[in-house]
Amino acid sequence: MNYPVWYLPGMGGSLLIAIIAIIHVVVAHFAVGGGLFLVLTEHRAYRTGSNALLDYVKSHTWFFLLLTMVMGGVTGVGIWFIISLAHPAATSFLIHQFVFAWAIEWVFFIAEIVALLIYHYRFGKMSRRDHLIMGWLYFIFAWLSLFVINGILAFMLTPGKWLETGSFWHAFFNPGFLPTLIFRTAISAIIAGVFGLITALFRKDEALRQVILKWCAGWMYIPLALLAASAIWYTFAIDPQALANILHHNPESSLFRKIVINSSVILFGLGLFTLVRYPRKLQGITVTFLVVITFVWMGGFEYLREIARKPYVIYETLYSNGIKPNEMEEINSSGFLNAARWSSIKEVSDDNFLEAGSEIFRLQCLNCHTEDNYNGVKNKIELMTERGIEAQLTGMGRINSYMPPFAGTETEKKALAAWLYRELLGNEPEVIHQPEIPVLSHTRPSFDNSKDEYVLLLWNDIGMKCISDNDKILAFLPPANTLNAQLVKRAPIPEIIKEGYNLKWETEEQHLNPQNHTDFWEYDSIIYGKNLPLATGLTGSKLSGEMKSVNGIWIADRIPLMPYRDDGTYNPYPLITVTASDPDGFVVATTSAVAPVSTEMGCRNCHGGEWSWNGVSGLSDITAQNILVVHDKYSGTSLADEAAEGKPRLCQECHSDPVVGRAGKPGILSFSASIHGFHANYLTGMYQESCNLCHPSDPASATNCMRGRHAGFLDCTSCHGTLEDHALALLKGQTHLEKADRLAASLQPVSVATMEEINPRTPWLMEPDCRGCHTNFNIAVDGFEGSAYNKWVPGASALYRMRTDNQGMMCAACHGSPHAIYGAYNSYDPMRDNIQPLQYQGLAGTIGTHESCSVCHTTDMNTSGHHRNQINRLYEAVLQYE
Amino acid sequence: MDPVIPSPDVIPVHWLWFQVLLVVTFILHLILMNLILGGSLLALWDKISGKKEPGYAVTLPVLVALTINLGVPPLLFVQVLYGHLFYTASVTQAVPWILVIPALILGYYGSYIYVRKRDKSPQLATTGLVVSLLLILYTGFMLVNNSTLTLVPSRFEAHLNNPGGMNLNIGEPSLWPRYLHFITSAVAIAALGVAIYAKFTLKDNPEQSSAVIRTNLRRFAWFTLVQFAFGTLFWLSTPREVWMIFMGKNITATILMTLSWLLAASMIYTAFRGKLGITILHAFIVLVIMVIMREYMRSAYLKDIFSPSQLESKGEFWPLIVFLVLFIAGLGAIYYMIRLATKKISQS
Repeated sequence: MNYPVWYLPGMGGSLLIAIIAIIHVVVAHFAVGGGLFLVLTEHRAYRTGSNALLDYVKSHTWFFLLLTMVMGGVTGVGIWFIISLAHPAATSFLIHQFVFAWAIEWVFFIAEIVALLIYHYRFGKMSRRDHLIMGWLYFIFAWLSLFVINGILAFMLTPGKWLETGSFWHAFFNPGFLPTLIFRTAISAIIAGVFGLITALFRKDEALRQVILKWCAGWMYIPLALLAASAIWYTFAIDPQALANILHHNPESSLFRKIVINSSVILFGLGLFTLVRYPRKLQGITVTFLVVITFVWMGGFEYLREIARKPYVIYETLYSNGIKPNEMEEINSSGFLNAARWSSIKEVSDDNFLEAGSEIFRLQCLNCHTEDNYNGVKNKIELMTERGIEAQLTGMGRINSYMPPFAGTETEKKALAAWLYRELLGNEPEVIHQPEIPVLSHTRPSFDNSKDEYVLLLWNDIGMKCISDNDKILAFLPPANTLNAQLVKRAPIPEIIKEGYNLKWETEEQHLNPQNHTDFWEYDSIIYGKNLPLATGLTGSKLSGEMKSVNGIWIADRIPLMPYRDDGTYNPYPLITVTASDPDGFVVATTSAVAPVSTEMGCRNCHGGEWSWNGVSGLSDITAQNILVVHDKYSGTSLADEAAEGKPRLCQECHSDPVVGRAGKPGILSFSASIHGFHANYLTGMYQESCNLCHPSDPASATNCMRGRHAGFLDCTSCHGTLEDHALALLKGQTHLEKADRLAASLQPVSVATMEEINPRTPWLMEPDCRGCHTNFNIAVDGFEGSAYNKWVPGASALYRMRTDNQGMMCAACHGSPHAIYGAYNSYDPMRDNIQPLQYQGLAGTIGTHESCSVCHTTDMNTSGHHRNQINRLYEAVLQYE
Repeated sequence: MDPVIPSPDVIPVHWLWFQVLLVVTFILHLILMNLILGGSLLALWDKISGKKEPGYAVTLPVLVALTINLGVPPLLFVQVLYGHLFYTASVTQAVPWILVIPALILGYYGSYIYVRKRDKSPQLATTGLVVSLLLILYTGFMLVNNSTLTLVPSRFEAHLNNPGGMNLNIGEPSLWPRYLHFITSAVAIAALGVAIYAKFTLKDNPEQSSAVIRTNLRRFAWFTLVQFAFGTLFWLSTPREVWMIFMGKNITATILMTLSWLLAASMIYTAFRGKLGITILHAFIVLVIMVIMREYMRSAYLKDIFSPSQLESKGEFWPLIVFLVLFIAGLGAIYYMIRLATKKISQS
């Protein structure tokens, strides 16, 4: 941000650094270990009196000099050059912080060069003793160079106390200093062994060659224990988060982990062949391969070290893109472009929207990424929508802490997302199609207050129900719509009929062939372990059947409804009609209720793909596959491949979920906590908009499921909190899991001040309590404070959909389904959710409202027998008359 | 401050420490650089004209190693003082700048090929020398490019329109005179180097030794005259407010300039007269004065933009002290090693 960015869209500075650094690091380690190798081999030659071995040392010295002094020395300067081009801010920081360390390193470096030049040019021209002294001096100076450089390199990942004190000495002798010094010393010896093999091959004397090969093998294997011990020690010195990133979270590291493991096996496996006598040509091939593998091996190590530092180039001090963490707040408020010295655009406008996005990409992303090559952005975002890219930018540095957070305003974020989506991926801007809502009608069953003896109250248990309709790829909510009913025999003191009667349900025409609209029955065996007959639900319920009385409540359990009519119309509100007959078979009551069911889940808003059902609704193959790809990437699963092989999975197989009745797997978050916790990090600060992105709660959506009397003045967040609040409460319910902490780490509550204030909850069983606002059933008199958020019912039996009043009537029987509380408005058919209130009392409000006690009571009532504030309640605002 | 100039970082001790260290180490680097660049040119010239190549040409690879090594500290200290300008200039011309690294590697190997193959394969040796020379010339050209761009931050803005790192500072009027001034000076110093080498290596053949010394002192004198011409051109190609500091606007700079002229005149005289010792002394003093004048020139360029005196210092002295102690110890170690190397076997 302080410095210009070298625009290398196809290559990136990181790759250039890697190319130079890998060569340098191998040669520089060789320069240290090789020095010891030379002098000890010379010692051995004198001790054994072997002139041939001494001759080998001499020839190896020449090779050593050519490689280390030329290639090693200049690539060292090369790293300095390239980092100052790719990361000028970090280079400046390191130069200024460690100027005297660099200067000291230079002193050792020049002494090292002088020693080596003398060692080589005066070989055989000095006394043995003096020549050996020169060899030892070379090694000492070379190792001291390593000592100094190691302090600086280790600092970058483990700055330790320096973060508090700013002291040079704390910076230099940082927590990673000693383990890495030992680690690098061991590596130096190993590389000396490998490179010793090269010149050994030129020895024509087979016996001598074999002696040297064995000698080199010793150099390769003896330091291994030291290498392993220091590596383990090092893992304790670095930040656990950094370790977790390279071991688990950062997908970039998986390739290099494999490289390190495989190259280690090859290097030390193949190295054993040096102990065996076989033809020189084959030995040559082996050694060439070992040398190549050494570069690969070191490259893997160095890459992992680099990746462990992410998102920083200097841990907790400077992000990889040159922004300091303590600058973020200011940048986010005043704008990145405004703060960037090297931007020709200072403010995003309609005229420069895409250009500004391009500028932000260049200045903020190109430090690590290319457009489409190494660590390219293109293949990371090609499955996303523009909205999805924006979410991705929001989520950067949150769950996966290896990315720095996006720096800039919301508008700048949108500009970057737009540029990435439209220019880099070459997509047309997304056009949001307003769905056409068909006009539906219904026939309301009759009720004669003067004659009819029974009142049948029917409602859906949760009031809105989404299902996943792409079982070919994944499943998380099967078609399963449950309706409850209560049958009341009218009387001065009415009787609730709990048994002995026969209640039959029937599904509305056009919804009788769900099997034609979903592959649920094709994959039921694989996903649910049940081979169900067509149009039959998981509990055996069909589209018509007899309700069962469970604890006095009549239940039609999990009817397999789809929102797709046979005529191709989308209808998320099919009607279920229930007819009650007395024990003698006489029909005593009939009513209808909406069984809401929607497939309009907004996954595609971010994950791409189209609606699968006539451009209106449904989870398309592309969307579903993209979701799995993301899951696989972040969680190390292989769900996309499994689905492609015809083995789709139920998410709740691993993620517990009371609503699907699955216990999940131990150690894994519940489905609700996981899906909300994850997405809250990407859809932060969006209030209701984030709910609408996934759930069909947007008034402009095809479903518009928020249709109860609250809809006009409350939204999802009024009771459930914002997505962040919602997620935090769920995650807090599973704090024993590390994953819960990880997802919650970057989330800030909105509805309450601190995380401590949030009450943990279990999904589906601990929902917002209506009495959070309706404190004592008279909100007009009692008023309320705050919202229902964080005021959870204590358990399933206290849920609105499970509770009764003082007389055994279920709350929902009179007030309607959750989310469709009477006085509801349905955009497909305005009074569709108010059938019973209109049928029984001609008013679209609560059953019994406006002194309509006569719906059930055959005498006048003057007490609030069901709950407080029931009689004489004339709250007009919520009434809708037909 | 100009908005495209990055903010500098804090330095550990007072800026003058770095200024002194920069001047001292740059002088050492400059001498060696002159020896390899000028030495390579002289070697090629002699090769083409069929003469015997300068004696010290065999040490070229060693000199390359030491030149690169001694290039490190001035590059370090200049980054401490002017890093924010230097890095920006580097990024602005990143592509040709990073190519300096492969150029140095190949040039370095070229010098080895030249030395090692002189007898067995003269053509290959000449190719090595030419390649090495061209790549060293390229490196010098890029250093001049970067140094001059660092002095004119207003030109950094070229990067905004062309961010690919290809903005060479070709439009700078002083670029070519400066470059040629350096090259011709290098030949002059290298000629002096050949004379010194002959003095020490041809002790057994005084006649040949004095002939070589005479020839090369004459070369030194002529090239000093040529570089003086380029130097004057270089001086006058700088902006008026820059060259004026040597014409009375800055007393110290003017005295240094005058002194350098006088010493140069005297040096040319002593060189033509074949006085090696006094010429070396002159040359060294002139070189030191030139390096100091270079710093004055840099300050004049950056006047109103930046001065190292603006840098905030942390006052952290212990690392400096440790460095100075180790620096002295390092010099001692080098002395010891050279003593050991030059000791006769029979004495040990």
